[in-house]
Amino acid sequence: MNDDYLWTGRGEPDPDVARLERALGRYAHAAAPPDLERLARAAAAAEAARPRGAAGWLARAFGGASRRPALAWAAACALLVTVAAVTREAARPSAPAWTVARLEGAPRAGGARLAGAGRLAVGEWLETDAASRARLEVGTIGTVTLEPGSRLRLVRAAEDDHRLALERGAIEAFIVAPPRRFAVETPSALAVDLGCAYRLEVDRGGGALVRVLSGWVSFEGRGREAFVPAGASCRTWPGRGPGIPWVEEADAAFVAALAALDEAADAAARRGALRAALERSRPADALSLWHLLARFEGEERAAVYARLAALAPPPAGVTREAVLRGERAALDAWWNALGYGDVEWWRLWQGDPPA
Amino acid sequence: MEHALPVTWRRPEPAAARGAEPAAAAADADDARAARRAEEAALVRAAQAGDRAAFGRLYERYARVVHGLLLARVRAASAEDLVQDVFVQALQRLADLRDPQAFPGWLAAIARRRALDHHRRERPLDELPGDVPATPDGAEEAARVLSLLRTLPAAYRETLVLRLVEGLSGPEIAERTGLTEGSVRVNLHRGVRLLRERLGVEERG
Repeated sequence: MNDDYLWTGRGEPDPDVARLERALGRYAHAAAPPDLERLARAAAAAEAARPRGAAGWLARAFGGASRRPALAWAAACALLVTVAAVTREAARPSAPAWTVARLEGAPRAGGARLAGAGRLAVGEWLETDAASRARLEVGTIGTVTLEPGSRLRLVRAAEDDHRLALERGAIEAFIVAPPRRFAVETPSALAVDLGCAYRLEVDRGGGALVRVLSGWVSFEGRGREAFVPAGASCRTWPGRGPGIPWVEEADAAFVAALAALDEAADAAARRGALRAALERSRPADALSLWHLLARFEGEERAAVYARLAALAPPPAGVTREAVLRGERAALDAWWNALGYGDVEWWRLWQGDPPA
Repeated sequence: MEHALPVTWRRPEPAAARGAEPAAAAADADDARAARRAEEAALVRAAQAGDRAAFGRLYERYARVVHGLLLARVRAASAEDLVQDVFVQALQRLADLRDPQAFPGWLAAIARRRALDHHRRERPLDELPGDVPATPDGAEEAARVLSLLRTLPAAYRETLVLRLVEGLSGPEIAERTGLTEGSVRVNLHRGVRLLRERLGVEERG
């Protein structure tokens, strides 16, 4: 493939890329000057119709929309999806099975070949071979696409608890619901949806890899927790639980050092891998370093603190001593300063929505 | 509170993504990018202050991106209509945007959210030949390719639509979506490879 042409669109055309461009070019945006008057009127009308009251309360509870627009936006979205979910719950009976549809090949649902659409009951398996794919409706809150060579079981199908178990293969999940309403068990950790789209792969050895496309995923297991925001990935390891997440622009050597750290057989190997990870870390790796704070104690935690503080200084009020003691408030405040969303936002939604 | 890393929507460009460029050319490219970002930030601030012409320029600059993000998720016939909706919502919410340089990622998030709302009401996604704007031939082939493209993972799907449908280059996609150039390169390369596999095209050396 001519990578230069694919990247720049200039120079000697790659024949296959050019063919794709010719086929798809007809769908291109029909450029026309915007009708700004009409846009402005529509925006004004939408603003006038915008719900206030509870949304405003929620935004204020998180510090005011003017100071924390992203958080207020997230909180308002969370409120909206909650209201939608509650409305749906009131309107529909609980579903003991989910709709499943064949996308390609010959997937099997509940042991039977799936020709078109069908239902997958709790306890049943959805399986794809190397040439088949299937789409599963997650109740009324989203969809899961099962990629080739995968095996997935429906564990729970309650309105407030949607749970699957991915034994092997890959899924792409697209969920619109308050956090923690949807989870996927893997052999090495539980992937909990915090309102997002993500891809999850499980290999033959039981290890898993999640890549988050939007929102957040929490990977939980063996007493460990990893918070994986959009644009980041994380592995889990059989017998050890979630590893350290990394952002997609992380240097390959840094990611390799994180893997070595998770796989280290003894304390000396762990220290060596930590040293390598810290040396290779850059400002974009603050997400990983923040997680490392909780995985080490003593001198190692101090070393992580020093590196993270150099790359992404802690906010006012967060002291070295508090971080080294592992005080949750200090760690939360530092997380909030990293720009991945406010820790309280998803913690709030761990239980029932507020009345 | 001042955030140490302004990474909510746009993360710092990794040096590795620029490593292949000769030093002087990379410096020029960086300068040009910085100038465009500064100019665009000024447009966003002007639009926030009520300058309608500035918003119009942002619209012209981003309409193809918004359309591409929508087309990756909804039918072609719906995507054109939804472009307007996205810009209406952007105009309505623009005052809430604190960091003008975050505009590309912020607008992309609105487009994805709008597509999601629409997608949940309207299925299936398979493109019908009749949805394609009238052209002499190839409508069925185009519908087939687009349908296959939509089976790719979301990150690849979006990037490929912006490159192959909307005609943006890799650097333009990075600038206008808030993704890093490294991510766009990976998405383009892997996405085309996957698409070719699904189309049954033999890989050329």
